[in-house]
Amino acid sequence: MTGDDQPIRDVRVLLSGARGRLACGMDADELLEQAADGYAGQLTGHQQECPHCQAALQEFSRVWEPVRRLASEPVAIPAAVKAAVFGQLRDLVSDVWYTLQVTDDGAIRIAARVVAAIARRAAQKVPGVGVAFGRSTRSKAAGLAEQSTLGHRHQHSAVGVLGRTAVVDLALAVRYGENLDLIARQVQQRVIADLRACTGLQDIAVNVTVDDILP
Amino acid sequence: MRVKGADVDDGYLVQRAQEGYLDAFAELVERHGPLAYRVALRLLGSHHDAEDVAQEALVAAWQQLPGFKADSAFSTWLYQIVTRRALNRITRARPTAASLDQLGDVAGTDNQTAATAERDLTISAVTSAVTALPPPQRIAIVLHHFEGLSNAEIAVITGSSIAAVRSHLFRGRRTLSEKLAEWR
Repeated sequence: MTGDDQPIRDVRVLLSGARGRLACGMDADELLEQAADGYAGQLTGHQQECPHCQAALQEFSRVWEPVRRLASEPVAIPAAVKAAVFGQLRDLVSDVWYTLQVTDDGAIRIAARVVAAIARRAAQKVPGVGVAFGRSTRSKAAGLAEQSTLGHRHQHSAVGVLGRTAVVDLALAVRYGENLDLIARQVQQRVIADLRACTGLQDIAVNVTVDDILP
Repeated sequence: MRVKGADVDDGYLVQRAQEGYLDAFAELVERHGPLAYRVALRLLGSHHDAEDVAQEALVAAWQQLPGFKADSAFSTWLYQIVTRRALNRITRARPTAASLDQLGDVAGTDNQTAATAERDLTISAVTSAVTALPPPQRIAIVLHHFEGLSNAEIAVITGSSIAAVRSHLFRGRRTLSEKLAEWR
């Protein structure tokens, strides 16, 4: 049996006491909050003098310790989850394909997002470019070509753009102090050269937007 | 390939992603994907369920991105999506006994050290206690005590008042403490 002058050290008794209050009148839930938030060592004036509060804070801290330990366990996202997410996103993004060749042997196509990725890498090689994002869209001419060939297109190019014209949009964040015009032109030249070398696409338009300055 | 994205903030990435730059969204997934998985794991207690919910939430974030307004942080918005998806799964699922799946990457028992066994027991006990809480208390406990969010942030994420969050935390802490006291 525990008298009013004897500090209680059982969490269940502490929490189920009369209206959840300690013998000193303090609210047990507030002490539990203090301990769970990691502030059991920061005693108020009353707590510095009160054995009931000190005993309760000590006990609540001890009981809460496993929660703190679990909360501090590092949790890494499994690689399979990220791969599955990007697989789904690729399916969701309506894709454009550049068809390089359609023969009886089959078709050779490059996905627009691959074109965009090559363009981004090329842009990031230009000194002064901090961050580059690439996006490849249908050119007007390619769109018209696609419209006009709807009826007699190779069956596997149903969602594609026939032809060798690519339009690449690049969003760049450039380092402060650089000549933006010069960098933009260098990016255009570099991207066109790399895309021609990597893909065989010849007619390439590169739209560059400098939309941020980095320190 | 990751962008040299450490230099740009989430707001910049969100804008580019909204314009259709998938790579910008990929960088957001690199930054915040772990959050989605971690919260789902703590709310659901199972790696398998957490993988499903994290995947669903990240894909939903891409789909809903055009409607995202930059008046809150991307992470706050993602917390919202993950907790809603997890809540759907909780309410759909029937209560089950604690499974070994909750233990995490546990080493074989033959060569387990005492410390590893103790750690696994702790993970199991706390996970069981947390996942036994009613959903509103569980969400408040996980977001506050595992993710370190303030009551105000949790109120925004859960669409409730700060007073309601505080009440859920009080009740959740009480129940958890009583359970953990029994376990000790």
